[in-house]
Amino acid sequence: MAIIGTQESPQVYRLPQYRYVDAVRWLPPVSAFDRFAVVAYYDTDAGSPSVEIHALNPNPSPTLTPQSSWTPPSRISSLRTCPTPLSPILAASTFLGSLHILACNSANGAVIESEASVAELGFHAGPVASVDLRDGGSECVSVGEDGRVNLVSIVGNSSNLNYRRVFDGNGLVGYTAVKWASPTEFVTGCYGFGIHWWDQRKPGGPVTQFKGNWSQGKTSGIIHSVDIHPSRKHTCLAGGSSGVAFAWDLRTPQQPIVLSGIETGGAAIHSLSESEVWEVQYDCYARSSNISNISSSRILPVMMCSEDGILAVVEQGEEPIELMAEPCAVNSFDIDRQNPSDVICSLEWESIAILARP
Amino acid sequence: MPGVASDSGGGASDSGGGALVPFNPEAQVAVVYPLHHGLKPPVSRLSISWSRGNTLRVSVFCPEPSVDDSGDEPGGKVVEVRLGGGGGEISDAHWRRIAYGSVIPFALLQSKKNAALTLSKMSMNSSPYNVDWLEYVIEYSKDINLLLGNPKLPPSPAIDDPKSVLKKGEEPTSLKAAWELLEIFYADKLSQVWLPERLVDWLADYDCLLSVSHSTVHSKLLSFQGELVRLQIVEDYPKYWEVMSSALAVGWLEIVVKMLRLHGSYQLDQLSNRETENGLVEAVAVLISKMPRMRPELESGKLGECFKTKPDFMKAWEKWRAQLNKLELSAFWFQCSHQQTREGLRNMLQIMLGNANSLSTATFNWIELYISHLLYIRPFTMGLESLYSLAQKCIQLKPMAGAHSLMGLIIGILGENSEVVLAECSRGFGPWMVAHAIELLTAGSDHAEVLLHQECLNLGGISLEELHRLVYAQVLSSHALTWQIAPIYLTSCMKQGMGLLEILLSKQPVQHNHLLLKNIEICRLYDLDSISSSIMKISGVYHWKHGRKDSGVFWLQQARDEVQLNRIAQQLFDSVGKTISDESFKQWEGLIQLLGSESKTAGGLEFLHKYRDFKKSLQQVCDGKTTDAARQAVESLISLMKNPSTPQRFWLPLLHDSLKLLNWQERPLLNVSQTNLLLNKLQELSLARLRPDFIEADLPPEGLSSIRLALATNLGRAFLEE
Repeated sequence: MAIIGTQESPQVYRLPQYRYVDAVRWLPPVSAFDRFAVVAYYDTDAGSPSVEIHALNPNPSPTLTPQSSWTPPSRISSLRTCPTPLSPILAASTFLGSLHILACNSANGAVIESEASVAELGFHAGPVASVDLRDGGSECVSVGEDGRVNLVSIVGNSSNLNYRRVFDGNGLVGYTAVKWASPTEFVTGCYGFGIHWWDQRKPGGPVTQFKGNWSQGKTSGIIHSVDIHPSRKHTCLAGGSSGVAFAWDLRTPQQPIVLSGIETGGAAIHSLSESEVWEVQYDCYARSSNISNISSSRILPVMMCSEDGILAVVEQGEEPIELMAEPCAVNSFDIDRQNPSDVICSLEWESIAILARP
Repeated sequence: MPGVASDSGGGASDSGGGALVPFNPEAQVAVVYPLHHGLKPPVSRLSISWSRGNTLRVSVFCPEPSVDDSGDEPGGKVVEVRLGGGGGEISDAHWRRIAYGSVIPFALLQSKKNAALTLSKMSMNSSPYNVDWLEYVIEYSKDINLLLGNPKLPPSPAIDDPKSVLKKGEEPTSLKAAWELLEIFYADKLSQVWLPERLVDWLADYDCLLSVSHSTVHSKLLSFQGELVRLQIVEDYPKYWEVMSSALAVGWLEIVVKMLRLHGSYQLDQLSNRETENGLVEAVAVLISKMPRMRPELESGKLGECFKTKPDFMKAWEKWRAQLNKLELSAFWFQCSHQQTREGLRNMLQIMLGNANSLSTATFNWIELYISHLLYIRPFTMGLESLYSLAQKCIQLKPMAGAHSLMGLIIGILGENSEVVLAECSRGFGPWMVAHAIELLTAGSDHAEVLLHQECLNLGGISLEELHRLVYAQVLSSHALTWQIAPIYLTSCMKQGMGLLEILLSKQPVQHNHLLLKNIEICRLYDLDSISSSIMKISGVYHWKHGRKDSGVFWLQQARDEVQLNRIAQQLFDSVGKTISDESFKQWEGLIQLLGSESKTAGGLEFLHKYRDFKKSLQQVCDGKTTDAARQAVESLISLMKNPSTPQRFWLPLLHDSLKLLNWQERPLLNVSQTNLLLNKLQELSLARLRPDFIEADLPPEGLSSIRLALATNLGRAFLEE
């Protein structure tokens, strides 16, 4: 089922899965020849969730071949992958409030070798909203709508997990997204387009808070996803309700840079969508000519996906590029760090889309 | 309703005794679903209710445990039983895929239909159904057909296996077969001229579906193909000739020619002494491959000669018949010494010449007989009327034991009986089929259009079309993954659709934000603001009750539900009064930020915002900051006390907290009027104490008197200052 467009537009391959796709990620490669994707499924007929590693065979058209599978205690709410010196590891959180760290076999990278979990009562009350693995895979941060922020340290061969509570909002504040900024700092997203900046060196609460004053009344919303570019650690990218994608620069904390969505004081912003932006990521697949022109104050190109089925790349002050327009929601996507031209997306209608950009 | 089925339903109603579709009570065998509840008998009570979709939820209760029982045994268990699952040729997951895929073609057709209707209203044209319209319908039908499966053949092997006569493709489904039938008869009006040939193709694709319950040409071919590998001299076996004439009778020419070439006389060592025999075989093979066919084109690999217009076809047909006759009467037959070959070939000639007896023996059921009649006896047939009488004749000759859903459908279509067609679609293929086939029926048949668009009083004033769409939408709504596409179908229902859509959206679970947001998005698309705000209210209260105050307040704010916000504000103040100490202040920060400064969206919670400011400056005072901080704290205090939204029960604690301000050493911080205001409030409180709903503040015993003393002192000092 390939739709081949013009030369400029990417090739989109849709792979029906016959199961609901809760989350999808590329697995960092072990060797140069194999490519794997991690998919969290939910089989509604059997009522069983699963996390599976699939091998991607790109020719003649991409197909996914299951390699190994693991059954979590409930549906997956958030999934992240991270390369380590030995082998890639996965962090998966569930709607039951547990966190699982899966280590892959270092020989072929595609077999889930060990599993460790934090599932005790009181880790999170209710679902874990989001997790993120620190570079190097030694620590994982988890947040939930219960307002708890936990740090899970992964010791040794990732079979031993300890966690400590960084903060407990007691439900007075709830977190919906999290992302590491540096080995000691991370950001969280919350209700009312709020972003909190945390620094482990200053415990007790968030160091800086951002509250969009530009989002008054009805246009207020929830942050669904945050991202930070490794080369610009002071800028936090966020996407959420009402088609909003914006960047928040720590150096100018009062003024967000709106990339899509709400108009600020007459300035026309290209609005791609009016519905939920489920995920945002910096798009490292920029043309070489563009990259030299980008000054440090300019926001790097951003990819976003939305409830109304749009996957697009937006750039500050430029016409957005629509990569894909689906009749159903694009719930999540992941850009392959090693081959940034390739994007994998989970679609609402029980399928996965793989984009190959020219 | 127009048309009574019992006298026009033909074969379908003969066995059903007046029913639209024959109903076989013997088929309804009771099904037993074993329950695995794993509880110790006896079971004291069972409770049964519907769960999602077609699952039953059975709650099994044990009797009350006696006192001496250990508490390990569970008191009961809830199990879900899936009804009717597993059966059918299409799995649930595949059905969902079909449901997803048909959304776009359906929505596209509806929007085109609406556009055509507005256009026809503007130009005062009587009918929106013109040639353009039929093009849309055929496009729609093709899209759906593609979705139902693509009979992709595997790439043909480089070396053709001479002994495999049947090609193996994807297993066809009855659903696709039925859709193609509807497409042939209703949608594809432009190629109606080639109707008989299209039926030949249809049978070639789907004869195997009938093999499951009946003997067919396909099943005979399949079993002979198995034997073929072991046979040495094929022409000696009568089955070889039987199978070939059967395949010829239903028009599978390429198979027949391929099998004829397996004849022993083609072998090089035999060619010399069986020359005549071989000549006859080859002559028949050539004649078969030259058969004139009334159709625009043939797929590659298929045999015959195509003619697009009837005069050309008739001319070629007569010529071909003359050649057949000539061969039939030829003297070479007497020189052919191999008896089986002679008889077999002459039988094949008889089939091509349209000998009714030969056709009858070569075919195994009425539809095959029917196709063979269309091919060889009535090649010039056009129009449905003669097609139907011919079908009835064939059914009489070769009745089928046990009705196949496809056969019922064909009879309904040929009999131009829309009720039967609808009923067969519904019985054999379910609500999806009916809801989507209606588009073809209304476009292709005037009778069906009247039937389906007529508003029926016994259906509460809705049309049959709407009824079937509603039924399908209900099916979609009952599944957690497909309810999101039900709105597309509901909004195409003029009378009941919107009402049901509102119910559907209000009934969705609100626990998870993702689902809730998807739900709200649908509300936004269809301008259902009242529904979305009620969903948000429900969700707000849900989150509040589960201790997620942040999201509770957020959703109530989004819903602009001031009543509820004020109510939860009262609850929130309880915990504020007790826990707002300096340590827990950071937790409140997030919530207070969320509330914003606008009183409109915060309801009674606006107080919290000011309270926070007050606490902050008081904190600074305690930390030993300057008089400026104290002054700011006083300002906050006065604005809090002035504000009507500050709850009465906070007055005393507020005053008690600010004792330090009242007794400020350097100079009095409050002026006379400010002190008077506070004194008035104190007075008000002592009056309010008499009311039954008064809540006593949690203060140390001498608290009130120390406040009184401080206020009085301050008043005195303020007088002196002024």
